[in-house]
Amino acid sequence: MKLRRALIAVIVACLGCSGCAPARGAARPEEIGDKRVIDFWNGFTGPDGKTMERMVRAFEAENPDLRVRMQIIPWRVYYDKLTLALVYGGAPDLFILHASRIAQFAPYDKLRRVEDLLASGTAPLGEADFAAAPWKASFYEGQQFGLPLDVHPVGLYCNARLLREAGLSKAPATWDEFVEAARRTTKDTDGDGRTDQWGFVFTWQRTNWLTFAAQFGTGILTPDERSCDMASPRNLAALSRMRELIYTHRVAPKPEGVDAWLAFRQGKAAMALEGIYMLSSLEETEGLEFLGAPVPRFGAEPGTFAGSHMLGLPGGASPESSSAAWRLARYLSDHSLEWARGGQVPARSALLRSPEFRAMTVQSQFARQLPYIRYEPLVPKLNGLMQHVDPCVEAVLLGLQTPEDAASDACRRIDQVLRRP
Amino acid sequence: MVSGLKARRPLRRSENWRDTAVGLGFALPHLILFAVFLLGPVAYGFYLSLHRWHILAPEHPFVGLQNYAGALSDDIFWIALRNTVYFVVLVVPLGNLVSLLLALGLASVWRFNTAYKLAYYVPVVISIAVVAVLWRWLYNTQAGLLNVYVKQTVNALRGIGLPLAPFQPVPWISNPDNVVPALALMTVWWTAGGNMLIYLAGIMNVPDEYHEAARIDGAGTWQRFRHVTWPLLRPTTLFCLVFSVLASFQVFGQSYVVFDNPPGGPARSALFLALYMYLQGFNQYELGYGAAVAYLLFALVLVLTAVQFRLFASGGRKE
Repeated sequence: MKLRRALIAVIVACLGCSGCAPARGAARPEEIGDKRVIDFWNGFTGPDGKTMERMVRAFEAENPDLRVRMQIIPWRVYYDKLTLALVYGGAPDLFILHASRIAQFAPYDKLRRVEDLLASGTAPLGEADFAAAPWKASFYEGQQFGLPLDVHPVGLYCNARLLREAGLSKAPATWDEFVEAARRTTKDTDGDGRTDQWGFVFTWQRTNWLTFAAQFGTGILTPDERSCDMASPRNLAALSRMRELIYTHRVAPKPEGVDAWLAFRQGKAAMALEGIYMLSSLEETEGLEFLGAPVPRFGAEPGTFAGSHMLGLPGGASPESSSAAWRLARYLSDHSLEWARGGQVPARSALLRSPEFRAMTVQSQFARQLPYIRYEPLVPKLNGLMQHVDPCVEAVLLGLQTPEDAASDACRRIDQVLRRP
Repeated sequence: MVSGLKARRPLRRSENWRDTAVGLGFALPHLILFAVFLLGPVAYGFYLSLHRWHILAPEHPFVGLQNYAGALSDDIFWIALRNTVYFVVLVVPLGNLVSLLLALGLASVWRFNTAYKLAYYVPVVISIAVVAVLWRWLYNTQAGLLNVYVKQTVNALRGIGLPLAPFQPVPWISNPDNVVPALALMTVWWTAGGNMLIYLAGIMNVPDEYHEAARIDGAGTWQRFRHVTWPLLRPTTLFCLVFSVLASFQVFGQSYVVFDNPPGGPARSALFLALYMYLQGFNQYELGYGAAVAYLLFALVLVLTAVQFRLFASGGRKE
């Protein structure tokens, strides 16, 4: 009898345990007290997170009926988590997504269209209120899915002291000036026979290449986005030009074993191509004199890589959730000058023209590139393409493959991805 | 029948049922967890592998073995397999050798024995994330401790007149050729303590009489190890090898944490099969394709394990 009871107890305990897990898509509390809660996700783990936190608190102070529950998730796992939440439930009311991600989620109805929200309220927003590129990037197949918050173009950061010591008074603007400046600032400072101060360093190879490629009128895909363009003569010229800096002019180190951004911050490199979002890390570096400028003309046309943060809402969001989330999104957009101070270029054209923004020296220099910025291809399979782009650029810069071989390998694989249903 | 023992009466049917039910009852908590968290997902994974399963897509069409064919015809799958095999070939022998040497050392040390055991075992309990971050710093080309030591050694040797080239920082994890050996070294440091304890238990189980008899026959330390300890350690070695191979084929965290962007390290040199599977599933969102890669890895490990068992079993008979 005792045994039977014990057996029943074990079974009940097991069944109980199996029911312990929360049900999928369990409703989250939407209200705390008399305040409606807005769940807001982003990946701003750096100083930009503090800026965003400040803006969100200011929004709460102005909107006492709302409370924002902000979750900062490292970018590395951010999209894994966001994707699962959009598919299986538990998505936030408002979230940040890069412009290039819209094409990934929109075809599967995972994003809410925002045209009606943009047109709502006392001060509706339209095309004229935004810089052209981020506005265009917020569309997928003619439908709009995001509110552009910012633009973050790549620009040229220079160590002002090293340039001055090399007899240069301003940032280079052409390829020849760039190579000359890099040559003059590449030095063996301790006389041990090894270069320990470089004129230029490749930081994030992907964005550096996209910038070079943009200036040679090319990119990952052909203009019709149907096939790979990396093996085109234009891109081979772009890749070769990047390689020249290491192997011909010897003004940049091979990107192996070099923490390039750290080298720039430590004054061991005179120039680097990086996004405006790196500005705060330079401002935090004690004793570093730096300046920001548009990317010099390396190729036949002006061009630089840029990304944009968009504010997105989940597909199928309730009207109440959308309405509350949009109030926060609008507030962030309206106050994106504050956001720009942390190292961004606002997407709102009125703010771009404002004297306050013009007073931000580096941001306004980088913003001069807005007319010719280039995004990654806004296609659903971008992730699948990028896995082949990075190794190609790396193989060229490390000297493991010629530009022709590396680009041809990349194109073979990229075309395979494009052909896959 | 031995006297004093009662002849066991045959169980009645109801008692038989009761015994079975009680046994099942005790096993049930594990069975449920096993079924829900292992067997179910494994079976579901196979189901996924037969479909084109994009995580965002509403429809998941059945494609038969297309994902498997796709993986086998994808040269990056073969690069990942080659890297994984290279890693296994480095880690399994080296790791087991280090574990065995540590165990032999510990077996002959009595003072501070527990302190040594603890010191060698501690890395095993550290999470791979912590280990990888730690080693990423050790391997840092500009500021890493390893290069500091190499530099001091090179300078010291040059100081005493050896004709060595001036020190050049070693790109431990940024040169594609160095990546797998560097990750293997890190893994051996991380895991050697586990097998060390198992080997130590095996060594302690060898009866002293055998060593004594060998000593009387004039056997030296090496001969006693070669002809007494080593043959008797065969089951232990089989266990350690099988588990090392299984664990090494599933290498993931080392590469995932050490190489942030792009994943897989320079020139895909640290792209291992488990990482490739993860990237296909959670970066490309092709869950069906990722599951097919997982099953191919499973099949490979299954075959290798069977081969190891067969080799050791037949070796055992010859002894």
